[in-house]
Amino acid sequence: MSKISRRDLLQYIGAGGIGAVGGVLYSESIERDVELLIPQVVPPEDYSPGIATWYNTVCNQCSAGCGISVRIREGKAKKIEGNPVHPVSQGRLCARGQSGLNVLYNPDRIREPLTNAGQRGTGNFYPISWDEVLTTIGSRIGRLKIENNASRVRLLTGRVRGHLDELFAQFMGLLGSDHYQQYDFTYPSALKAANKISFGIDQLPYYDIKNADLLLSFGADYLGTWISPVHHSLAYGHMRQGRAGRRGKTVQVEPRMSLSGAAADEWVAARPGTEGLLALGIAHILVSDGHYNGSDRDQWSDVLQAYSPSAVSAETDISEGNIRQLAREFGTSKAALAIAGGATTAGTNAVASAVAVNALNHLAGNLGQPGGIIFNSDQAFSATPGTRQAGMQGILDLVEAMEAGEVDVLLVHDSNPIFSLPDGVGFRQALDKVPLIVALSSFRDETTEQADLILPTNTYLESWGDDVPDPGVGFPVASISQPVVTTLYDTLPVGDIMLSLVRQIGGELPMAMPWRTMEEFVKERWREEYEKRGSADQDFEAFWQAALEAGVWGQPGVMTGDQIVPSGASTIAAITNPASQFAGSETDYPLVLHPYLSASLLDGRGANLPWLQELPDPLTSVVYGSWAELNPATAEDLGIREGDVLEVETPAGSVSVPALIFPALRPGVVAMPIGQGHTAYGRYARNRGANPMDLVSMQIDDRSGDLAWAATRARVRNTGERLQIIKTDGVTRTLGRQILGPKNDHA
Amino acid sequence: MSISVLDALRPARKPALLGLVAVFGLLIGAWVHGKYFSDRSPVQPIEFSHKVHAADNEIPCQHCHIYADTTPVAGVPSVSKCIGCHKSLPSVRDQPEILKLMAFWENREPIPWIKVHDVPDFVHFTHKRHVKADLECQECHGPVETMDRITRVATMRMPWCVECHTEKNVEHGRDCWTCHK
Repeated sequence: MSKISRRDLLQYIGAGGIGAVGGVLYSESIERDVELLIPQVVPPEDYSPGIATWYNTVCNQCSAGCGISVRIREGKAKKIEGNPVHPVSQGRLCARGQSGLNVLYNPDRIREPLTNAGQRGTGNFYPISWDEVLTTIGSRIGRLKIENNASRVRLLTGRVRGHLDELFAQFMGLLGSDHYQQYDFTYPSALKAANKISFGIDQLPYYDIKNADLLLSFGADYLGTWISPVHHSLAYGHMRQGRAGRRGKTVQVEPRMSLSGAAADEWVAARPGTEGLLALGIAHILVSDGHYNGSDRDQWSDVLQAYSPSAVSAETDISEGNIRQLAREFGTSKAALAIAGGATTAGTNAVASAVAVNALNHLAGNLGQPGGIIFNSDQAFSATPGTRQAGMQGILDLVEAMEAGEVDVLLVHDSNPIFSLPDGVGFRQALDKVPLIVALSSFRDETTEQADLILPTNTYLESWGDDVPDPGVGFPVASISQPVVTTLYDTLPVGDIMLSLVRQIGGELPMAMPWRTMEEFVKERWREEYEKRGSADQDFEAFWQAALEAGVWGQPGVMTGDQIVPSGASTIAAITNPASQFAGSETDYPLVLHPYLSASLLDGRGANLPWLQELPDPLTSVVYGSWAELNPATAEDLGIREGDVLEVETPAGSVSVPALIFPALRPGVVAMPIGQGHTAYGRYARNRGANPMDLVSMQIDDRSGDLAWAATRARVRNTGERLQIIKTDGVTRTLGRQILGPKNDHA
Repeated sequence: MSISVLDALRPARKPALLGLVAVFGLLIGAWVHGKYFSDRSPVQPIEFSHKVHAADNEIPCQHCHIYADTTPVAGVPSVSKCIGCHKSLPSVRDQPEILKLMAFWENREPIPWIKVHDVPDFVHFTHKRHVKADLECQECHGPVETMDRITRVATMRMPWCVECHTEKNVEHGRDCWTCHK
């Protein structure tokens, strides 16, 4: 082969070429992916890449007001923990608080101002510029103000405290409208009303669980959802194990075992709605057996006459012996404390029940004592928190005003009444009569979806503000909320939006409210408070820096010795025992509906956070979705197995949910977690489960004006369909494996 | 009659030769790729020259990479850092690459530099310790001041790390936990 033919040459060149291309491609394929090195355009002052900084601010996932520390790297929030120096959270944090990052980075956040272009309720929104949207709202409100019609402007917010509350109040006050109200489903309105009756104090006291020896909780899931769960968990830990040789006992009275019920020594499943009566029965024994020896013993004895153990036992379905034993323990404990919450304070007799529980505290003599009820008589700021809580009655008044065409502009901030109230309230329908609805919100929840204009707000991790925990911790405390990251999108802090509106409306408003930003306003108010307290030995700027770094300012020890002890007269006068009026007759609706706040989603505000959606319910271990719990005995009577899809019906409506057989539930009760069943609120919340508020009949406790959401009867119907409930648990039975003892009949 | 396998192999000779040529082509291809197309020396969004900055104008490394001695990362300079000098350098303002830089600044956009030196995420490498140990930048990054376009000279892989740690007798230098937390 001395010569290579032309054909062969071309073949060799081809082979070489293919080989070379293959070589390049192969080398390319084994390379690392291209990673980019993105610099900051303008780095923040205290930026050091790769090194984490912790900033302290305030959690806003529920109303407890825990101090939090947020870990920031390269200007991004990475982790949230409790602020160790904050007296509410003391370095701890619950799952809801941890999920704050899901709020910040949520893909469903509103990223720019939106308008519905005149098509309300369709869910179609179009971007609009801040200038345009603020001018539109400003001129509308400005015109109403000039025409002396400012009372046609209404402001509805969620629970807002601190100086943002003052800003809202001042804004509405200067407009000339006294229609600023707050609505938060979880606010303990009945408890507050009862405390006002018993103690004459219009704010929530501090319940000193930490130093109690016996905690008798009537429906209050203090470890999961009641008032300040992280703080109570710390207190609970101390009460149980923090004192050598002295282990506190807890008793939980509730029809469905909550997280606190599971952690208690004793679970007392009284008949729903009779918890207050049980408290009076215990009070009766405390007086008659001589555990109480105050000067007004005779009055107590008279008023409690009717609540003899036998009478109470018949009503509550708790044995006489059990009541006597509870009373004996309560009467002989060194520091006994009774608290009320949850379904106990959500019947039509809510305030009466809470007063009955207050009577126990009075008889135990724990008012103003360690391990008892401590009054927060001195607030860090002059404004009393919670005074603007509208309660259900306030919402009904607003609905009425809207229906009557008395509302021209409705501003809604961080409140979702369409989801958290029964349809019977008619809030959504009433919105049709309002010409302009403006939502100040970070997410498109059910109420925001109805708005004409949406002003996107910064999340709490991007906002300035401050907070006075309500209830306090027994001494004056105030926390500062500071932005821990720069704003992610074209959104504004709600305070800044209000101040922009002030400038748009004009008139005397910009003179009275000259601040450009919420930061300026908060700082000025803190300066005033600082100077008012006369602690001028330190420069304010230095104090402010220190307070910002700590995230909190407080005066521990200031309150001790300053306690007023109210007489029992007002409690005695208020003791009555109206039975809770349940909607629906017992024959048509044999079961009692027991909705309860979800330990993760709370009243539904957490439903758009994926971490909370995938968090198993602490008692049933179910993730995602909704379910209806039935006692095994009830389920057997009705021929229902776990996973049967039930139609739960009440006089107010019906929902379809799978059945879950749950032994820690009183027979004759159907329990459902609140929180799911959103029709809006982003991809994680929408179309998941059912909302038990659709089942709740519109009933009000007259004395607090709050919704009686635990006073509806229900029936269930097996639809014949089945649905597998997703849970991390196996079965709750031992299936004859004799795990629990030599013989197990329940197999 | 002699028996030879060569006759039998004859029909296979040509495919074998073609295969040989192809393998040779493969090697050439890989070499060309490594030389001209590899991530060792990617084309950057702006033709930034370390030679011009570090050698011709004698700017010290840490003038721009300001975090090298205090944090895990050396820090790619912010756009504002570039502009800080370039806004007062009219002599080069009209060069096309500087115009690109100005465009990024005016749009308030970061420059998407392509990473040349990288270690996987499970390695806790920190510049701070290496700078504090008086290592010259060039020991790992090569003669950067001679490069118009940055080229990676080391593998940045574990054997290379360990070799140096061993050679310099670094305390705990061969402990897994020093780099893998």
